[in-house]
Amino acid sequence: MEPHVAAVGTSEFGRTELTGRDLFSAAVAEAFEGGPDPAEVVDAVYVGNQSESYEHQIMYGTLLAEWCGLRHVPAERVEGCAAAGALALRHAVEDVRSGRRDAVLACGVEKMTAGGTAGATNALSAAFDRALEQRSGVTAPSQYALLAQRYLHETEATERDLARIAVKNHRNAAANPRAQFRRETDVETVLDSDYVAPPLKLFDCAPVTDGAAAVVVASEEIAARFAADRPPVRIAGVGAGANNIGVADRNLTFVEGAHEAATTAYDEAGVTPADVDVAEVHDAFTISEALLAEAAGFAPRGRGYESALPPTDRSAGWTDTHLSTSGGLKARGHPIGATGLAQAVEVYEQLTGTATPARQVDQATTGLLINEGGVADAVTVAHVLTT
Amino acid sequence: MTDHDPSDTTTAPRSRDEVTPDNPFTLPGFFAALDDGDLLAAACEDCGARLIPPRPACYACGGRDLRAEPQPTTGTVVSYTEVRTPPSALEGRAPYTVAIVELDSGARLTGRVDVPYDDASIGMSVRLTVRPLDDDERELALDHETDWPIHEFDSV
Repeated sequence: MEPHVAAVGTSEFGRTELTGRDLFSAAVAEAFEGGPDPAEVVDAVYVGNQSESYEHQIMYGTLLAEWCGLRHVPAERVEGCAAAGALALRHAVEDVRSGRRDAVLACGVEKMTAGGTAGATNALSAAFDRALEQRSGVTAPSQYALLAQRYLHETEATERDLARIAVKNHRNAAANPRAQFRRETDVETVLDSDYVAPPLKLFDCAPVTDGAAAVVVASEEIAARFAADRPPVRIAGVGAGANNIGVADRNLTFVEGAHEAATTAYDEAGVTPADVDVAEVHDAFTISEALLAEAAGFAPRGRGYESALPPTDRSAGWTDTHLSTSGGLKARGHPIGATGLAQAVEVYEQLTGTATPARQVDQATTGLLINEGGVADAVTVAHVLTT
Repeated sequence: MTDHDPSDTTTAPRSRDEVTPDNPFTLPGFFAALDDGDLLAAACEDCGARLIPPRPACYACGGRDLRAEPQPTTGTVVSYTEVRTPPSALEGRAPYTVAIVELDSGARLTGRVDVPYDDASIGMSVRLTVRPLDDDERELALDHETDWPIHEFDSV
């Protein structure tokens, strides 16, 4: 059975008094507005969630199933740091594709502000190898800075080029009502912001975000019960790939695990990178967008940093793909376990023509979402959506 | 700490009985050797990759014939940065420099470098040092980790 995106919803993204389950309630309320109740259609629930340290709560599968009116369905939390959301989506897709279930709720939730910046720093550090990396006191920004430093060393990219990516994503976010930062910035502001882990500065980094997102994956028949007025959106390809947990052991300038995930998703969908109109890439840091543009086949090797340039100004070999139209993790927000599903929400809106006019890509028919967990491509999940 | 024989040529465990805390293919065994001054890698007999810490299979080729091998203590910086917002336990230590170092054997690992960020560079020669945990590092350690030493790099 071909899996379709039946409905999507998100909470607001940013700092809030709402807890994880409340944020989920907001996402579910939007997704099921005007459609059947969850209990009428949902056969299983997968929840992407990074860490129990924020709310001291595990068992999120059970909890959220209960919170949307389900009791005895299979429900589980999926863990893979920031890739948890797309892992949950992938499980839902596989369930429907196999014919085992007709409709599955894939959702993600994170209440990151609960412990302040220190809480998030400490919680995220659990994604690094305990034996050598954690003990050396590395942090998420410093891990990505190790990638960025090497990338700037090996390519012609500069800190200014990375700053342009942040500026582009803020511009997109300004046109996205779901975004945490609905305001533009400029290159000088980015370059003047404090170093967090050089060469990365504050404005190269995605924020700490509270938020939830929900995607109902279903057969075409059930999907039609949600939004008969919208073109059906098919989940045509899925790919996943891991890489070493330790950054030192990897190719520092080509995210091979992400390349594997994207390539598999393209092959399943029968598309090439040039067919992709819109892509939500995992820009947890500006360097990530550059690396993923190359891994996903949009940019030639060493030229991914041109993602913020208009297609006509990019190097030969670039596709015309629009990257991070939502504002990306950088400016839409990055509620870790929910991010992969927030990416799906953006691509769904683009493919159904329901994005706000200022960010709507004309006649978008194929979209890629690529969601990473751990440092960069420690685990990556890619989905191709088509109309 | 368990005694460690520096001439160790332990091979990767292939039976359950071999997976013991004094085997360098486990973390207690790896850190016991490090405490004795030997940084061990698993050297893959099939493809030559060197993996730190040692583990029972090679990610590069999938092989399971690996041998514990003491590594050279000298190498060069492949990439580096400065941690300005550290994990809470290491607040008093920040800012500090961290790097990915490639040892002269080709093995790579991440560690702190005992030079200011502005004095570090890609290609810089460094040497491995090993010492017991300081108080702040001990705060970060779990019960089973408190006797595990910390590795760092000095500029040469």
